[in-house]
Amino acid sequence: MQPIARPRADLVDLLDRVLDRGLVLEADVIVCLAGVPLIGIRLRAALAGVETMVRHGLMGEWDQGIRQASRTDRTVAAAIPVPTVRPRLEHLPALQVADD
Amino acid sequence: MEHPTQQALEPATSAPPSRELEGLYVYCIGPLVEGGSLGAIGIEGREVLAIECNRFTAAVHSCDAHPYESRDAEVVASWVMAHHRVVNAAWSRYGTVLPLTFNTIIKAQPGGDARANLAEWLESERETLNAKLEALAGRAEYALQLFWEPRLVMKQMARSDPELMRLQEESRAKPRGAAYMHRQRLESLLKRKTEAAVEAECRALHGRLSRWVDDVRIERPRGESGQSQMLMNLSCLVPASQVHDLEAELSSVCEREGFSARLVGPLPPYSFC
Repeated sequence: MQPIARPRADLVDLLDRVLDRGLVLEADVIVCLAGVPLIGIRLRAALAGVETMVRHGLMGEWDQGIRQASRTDRTVAAAIPVPTVRPRLEHLPALQVADD
Repeated sequence: MEHPTQQALEPATSAPPSRELEGLYVYCIGPLVEGGSLGAIGIEGREVLAIECNRFTAAVHSCDAHPYESRDAEVVASWVMAHHRVVNAAWSRYGTVLPLTFNTIIKAQPGGDARANLAEWLESERETLNAKLEALAGRAEYALQLFWEPRLVMKQMARSDPELMRLQEESRAKPRGAAYMHRQRLESLLKRKTEAAVEAECRALHGRLSRWVDDVRIERPRGESGQSQMLMNLSCLVPASQVHDLEAELSSVCEREGFSARLVGPLPPYSFC
């Protein structure tokens, strides 16, 4: 069996997690930024993917599905709604169907 | 406005006696353990202290009560990596932590100090925080990314699907004009069949994930890398006891020609607190 890649987390792996995730402390003693924070915007733009194979919005139901399934019964995979992965190939050049 | 640099925060030797910094940058909250210094591993090399606070431990550094802001990508990158370095160090040391989002700075109120505010918040959120810490104990976050190489997968499909193989044979026997139209239809069918097969593969993998994963968050797939395209990008909360089996499952998926996977972790549970 081929081992899968197990790299260390890089900046791209950490960027959204550190900037957008984590516990949000909601209290009036927190220093807040006025308006849209500038931090990270340019960095994220530079690292953004050029093309996505799966439309994020369509997968929300799937996301909620597995969360619900995990909460209720970890073994009931069938309860998870059908995912809506849409791998798209329209950007590929014409194919050589016959064998090389 | 740029956040003051470390040099600006630390008074020069000729300056008046140092004033009490009025902010507390909080990296993460953990269960109560012995406090102390985690070293000068914080943002801009600040010394990070593990402080015992209301039966929790908080990894913090003292700073001005002003958020970190920058338009410089390299500066932001260094802050992000430093934030992670601290959270990761605390996580290794305490076993479980709740990472706080970047730029969580508690300010002092007139006549008080930031630490008192932190203690007050921890007290008010005690039950919630304890429940989260308990739920995350023994679990880690992993980034799970599945890739495919469309050309390889399509070639495999063209060579193995009976209908496509029959149509290829028919195409070869047709006159040039008709063969062109026939091949156009053949390519369209090949794409549809490949898409359906890959979608089915993703559904199947997702269906099996709940055997090893407590929670999943779907991320936006990133761009192409060489011939590979990212098909799925997930954040998974995985019990330590299930990591080996999850890895074996991914290896099994990757035995199919044209598929590969990347499993990054263990990471502190940024996405699940």
